[in-house]
Amino acid sequence: MAEDRVVELWGLVAAHAAAEGRRVAVADVCAVAVSAVGVSGAWVTAFGDGGPDFVLCVTGPVGERLAELQLTLGEGPCHDVLAAGAPVLASDVGDEESGRCWPVFAAESGRAGAGAVFAFPLTVGAIRAGVMGLYRGSAGPLPGGALGDCLILADAATMLLLDAADHGTGEGAVLDGAVLDGAVLDGAVLDGAVLDGAGLGGQALDLALHRAEIDQATGMLTEQLGVPAAEAFARLRAYAYASDRRLAEVAGDIVTRRLRLSPDARLDGGP
Amino acid sequence: MDAELLSDTFVDLADTMVADFDVIDFLHVLTDRSTALLGASAAGVLLADPRGQLRVAAASSEAAGVVELFQIQNDQGPCLDCFRNGRPVTAADLAVADQQWPRFAAAATAAGFYGVQALPMRLRNQVIGALNLFASEPGPFRPADLRVGQALADVATIGLLQERHLRRSETVAEQLQGALNSRVVIEQAKGKLAERYGLDMDQAFRLLREHARNTNQRLTDLARDFVSSAADFPLPDQAQPPRP
Repeated sequence: MAEDRVVELWGLVAAHAAAEGRRVAVADVCAVAVSAVGVSGAWVTAFGDGGPDFVLCVTGPVGERLAELQLTLGEGPCHDVLAAGAPVLASDVGDEESGRCWPVFAAESGRAGAGAVFAFPLTVGAIRAGVMGLYRGSAGPLPGGALGDCLILADAATMLLLDAADHGTGEGAVLDGAVLDGAVLDGAVLDGAVLDGAGLGGQALDLALHRAEIDQATGMLTEQLGVPAAEAFARLRAYAYASDRRLAEVAGDIVTRRLRLSPDARLDGGP
Repeated sequence: MDAELLSDTFVDLADTMVADFDVIDFLHVLTDRSTALLGASAAGVLLADPRGQLRVAAASSEAAGVVELFQIQNDQGPCLDCFRNGRPVTAADLAVADQQWPRFAAAATAAGFYGVQALPMRLRNQVIGALNLFASEPGPFRPADLRVGQALADVATIGLLQERHLRRSETVAEQLQGALNSRVVIEQAKGKLAERYGLDMDQAFRLLREHARNTNQRLTDLARDFVSSAADFPLPDQAQPPRP
């Protein structure tokens, strides 16, 4: 059930990237979201320190307008997803509630050609990478079953953003505007480790099929390594990938204190 | 059934819903009281994730073995069946042969649980999850206890879905995702706290929860601030880590 759909959607993302002749990027997730979920367009906004910071990719001019409107206005569903830590599904931006929540954005988004706007947080607990937005020209809720697809694709976008932040500096620095300038994501920096190969390195499934140990291990590593949560999470995944083990397994070893990582990544031995 | 504890429980749950509401804290009150009231050894709330699995939102024990037992039911088990058909499911003796859910029964008995009851969390036609009760002895839960258990599951459902931050929220799914994401933040904070003070996950969770209450913060807010280093976490004197 769930696993099959995860593999299917991540496969579509990888195939889209291959067809474009490039490494997997957030833009591929946006493209697949549009076709798989049946919306008119998609965008991803990355986060800086304070909140939504800059538009990373868009599938068309309306999406671009919607993304930029929210950055300019400082209001809209993409802002609310962070406060809520949950998706915000505005199935009719022309309705009363949208108007009340986002007086300017609701009106402007309608003028820009959107009937419905759906926003998904690109987060892993306290780690905030960005927001994925979808819109449709006509009002109406997401079709049944589409929400699960959106969440799986949001997971994919989150991983790609975190990987890009990690690889962008070569030192696993946290996400910041200077590193993620878009060029990084479209170029060869992303090695698509998570998406490579039929097995997806085990990591995609581990993340979609939630395991508490992965979150606990991430928290433990922030202390062990003295790094922010995003970096701790990256180190956890890098270790699992390098030692060719399931992420949940490595996380379990850390939680049961059978494994410690060294502040210097080069000193992490094999398992 | 302890009538006083029962009335206290409903008063506490109502209080939790009125004050600075934290969904995970609320569900923990529920699982804690379920064990105390219903003669269960462990209790857990599992919620449906639209990605296609059941996820643990709260458990009366944060011990790895117990949480694992709830998680395992994504493959098979009374909780999954209860969630799928929206009706209570009973397994009175997990030790007998020919189990309906062999993998689950083996894991449960290995952890010392011989009876299990799953109660649906329903909102009109939609099942959003299930309350799971485990017993350390074989034999069914008493019918009177199960009626109270179902009432607690219903209160949990209402509490969960009335949760509204300062935002709009059109669908049940938005609220459930909010609860599940809160859980992730809390797991990260547990890990950080456990590593800092040499605690196990149960102790870390208790400390987190106590500190949230003592300082009048929502559990999820405290956890997020702590993980993102926006807030430090003084170790209270009375909660010295145990010697190994």
